[in-house]
Amino acid sequence: MSKVLLIEYDKCVGCKNCEMICSLVHEGTCSSRLSRIRVARDERAGWNIPVSCAMCEEPICVAVCPSGACGRDPNTGIIMIDSARCIGCRQCVMACPFGHANFDPLKKTAFKCDLCQGDPQCAKWCWTGAISYGPLEEWLAQKRQQLALKLHP
Amino acid sequence: MRKSIGYAGLILEVDLSEQHLRVRELPDDMCRGYLGGIGFNARIVYDQVPAGTDPLGPDNVLVFGVGAMVGSPFPTASRTEVSAKSPMTGLFGTSNSGMFFGIQLKNAGFDALVIKGQSPTPVYLLIEDGSVNILGAAEIWGQDSWAALDILKNKYPGAEAALIGPAGENRVRFACIENSYYDAWARTGLGAVMGAKKLKAIVVRGRQGLSPHRTDSFIEIAWKARQLIESSPFFQPFKSYGSMNAAMPYGSFKALNAHNFNRGCLPDWKENFARNKVEELTKGHIACQSCIIACAHWVEIREGPYQGLKMKDMEVTPTVSFGSGCGMSLEACVKAAEMGQRYGMDMVSAASVMAMAAEMFTRGTITAEELGYELNFGDDVAMLRLMDDIAHRRGLGDILAEGAKLAGQKIAGGEEYAMHIKGLEMPMIDPRGRFSTWSLGMLTNVRGGDHLRCRNPIENLRYNENKFAYQKERFGFDQKMYEALDMPDHLKKKAIDLEADTTDIAIMSRWAEDLINLFNALGVCIRPPVEHKIGPTILAEAFTAWTGMEMTAEELMCAAERIWNVMKLFNLREGEKTEDSRFPGRFYQEDGGAVKLDEQQITRVLRQYYQARGWEPDSGRPSPEKIKELGLD
Repeated sequence: MSKVLLIEYDKCVGCKNCEMICSLVHEGTCSSRLSRIRVARDERAGWNIPVSCAMCEEPICVAVCPSGACGRDPNTGIIMIDSARCIGCRQCVMACPFGHANFDPLKKTAFKCDLCQGDPQCAKWCWTGAISYGPLEEWLAQKRQQLALKLHP
Repeated sequence: MRKSIGYAGLILEVDLSEQHLRVRELPDDMCRGYLGGIGFNARIVYDQVPAGTDPLGPDNVLVFGVGAMVGSPFPTASRTEVSAKSPMTGLFGTSNSGMFFGIQLKNAGFDALVIKGQSPTPVYLLIEDGSVNILGAAEIWGQDSWAALDILKNKYPGAEAALIGPAGENRVRFACIENSYYDAWARTGLGAVMGAKKLKAIVVRGRQGLSPHRTDSFIEIAWKARQLIESSPFFQPFKSYGSMNAAMPYGSFKALNAHNFNRGCLPDWKENFARNKVEELTKGHIACQSCIIACAHWVEIREGPYQGLKMKDMEVTPTVSFGSGCGMSLEACVKAAEMGQRYGMDMVSAASVMAMAAEMFTRGTITAEELGYELNFGDDVAMLRLMDDIAHRRGLGDILAEGAKLAGQKIAGGEEYAMHIKGLEMPMIDPRGRFSTWSLGMLTNVRGGDHLRCRNPIENLRYNENKFAYQKERFGFDQKMYEALDMPDHLKKKAIDLEADTTDIAIMSRWAEDLINLFNALGVCIRPPVEHKIGPTILAEAFTAWTGMEMTAEELMCAAERIWNVMKLFNLREGEKTEDSRFPGRFYQEDGGAVKLDEQQITRVLRQYYQARGWEPDSGRPSPEKIKELGLD
């Protein structure tokens, strides 16, 4: 996969609009509970952490899935859950180390980020740049450039 | 779990005297006629609070109305209006706040929450998807709002809460309702109403989701709205500095409330309250639900007596209220904000009575013996001590907790230092330094001395010249800005004269009040980049796609006008008089470092405003024709 979802915690201001737009495009409803991306927020302490799928190279959600519903799309490389094959055992939800994979209480199946098939709407709608989508190497180069500019303005 | 279209579809009524709950369906005509938020509140308070009701008695009704578009990704749709009869003014009390309470209440199933009666013992309300419980509040009653929130958030993870602090429990007349830790429904004393009902908190946790009527077009419209807001020249400054942007221009116009409106600005204002000072104390920004501006700052005090304070703060109105009104340092303003939040007090009113007390002390109207200490402007420690005394109604604080108007009546010789309109203390802006649409709006405001219900959407803060005293303010923008303003052409031509480069204050006031009413009904924020670029046209598109109810821009503005008229009729029923729309006497007798106000001229522009509203020009009452036109007869 050449592009990855890039999340910079310190840029997030906690508007949670990513949750609204994600659940709306996937489920036709605005609901944090059904959003693939979630923002962990501690208002008292003043921090906001957007959490989405890391698209692990060795995905534990895939490893624990007993029905073959959770797997990597061979064409796109995106790890997805096929709700038709999901048996609702929640193993992927429990195994995900980031609290990302989730469970739909109405459909009784698990769900996770599918990168909107290569055009993630959370990244498009994130106005602070906390969530972006692109090649990791370019992003790192940009970060190094920013550091350089700080040292040599 | 039911998926709703736009609205949650239900109104929850809680009677605390009877410990009784009732859920009723939200009627369609209520949505069309009053939209949501402030609209629902206006109708419900008008219908359910009988004339002459004691604001702190069981018959007052406290309403939380969530904006119609809250729960959607429309930029800034986050806001909830709370209303009741105000213990400050005896008139329509109302206040608006964002963050995450509204979206949770709506997702729990309710567009509005109506609280009646009075509980014999302290209680809190727990509202979760479809279930409502009245629970004993022994554990949190007496706690400051942050401590109470820590307990509630621990008990109900993921929940939001509206709650009162000690000020609300002690019925400080200007107590506010805290909206989680750092925000509040602050003005007009709604926290005292909640305290009188012995209701400590409303905890909401909602997860059911809200669906647009037409998903694709709604997403398209929300995206367009975002682009519009980002294209406003007010966007970047607001994104960077939030509302603190206004602190410097108002200082240079000599239009600050310095030392209880004795002078337009303080000598070291620029050094102590400028942008670089704000930058020094802040790091990062915090947003409300779905906001694309995030005007709020995260503040950290790293040295000095208030070292270690970390909180969301540096909003211009409270900061200037303490900084200029009481002469406090910027760091002490942050401390005062912390106390305001923990105690649950309206900071504008608190700062105003503190400044009033300092002036009375300076002039010998009250003494150090009565106070227990000396109280000079600029004495941070004494000011914060007084704030503590007010919240706990100790000593003279007990009288000041009644608000400037009543305290002025109770303290011999105090009345002339009470800076209020209709019983509500005025915020930072002094009309003697700059008379604008904003200034007139403070007189015509249904909630009294306040600047948040009328603001020219294309106000130009670069200028303060006024060739046509009280009638106009300088427009000062180019043709493109004129064209981009979403206002019907016939009205725009009357409101803005491009050739003379002026904006008509009376006509713009009426438009701005209705526009802000519309925002407060739909739950959209009134921050300048939004108010500037988001008008009734795109709001009508968004409302229609979200709710499935076809409404035109004209129909939305008509609903907003109806809401304003209902609030005004409530006030008139409670005995508001024409002469109540007047600035404090000082403004006509002293120049305050700028120019004295001309009462005749102001009466003239008020008449023009009443005419622009279709009201009777002498009395300022809605005319029978207007009442009929709005379907209120």
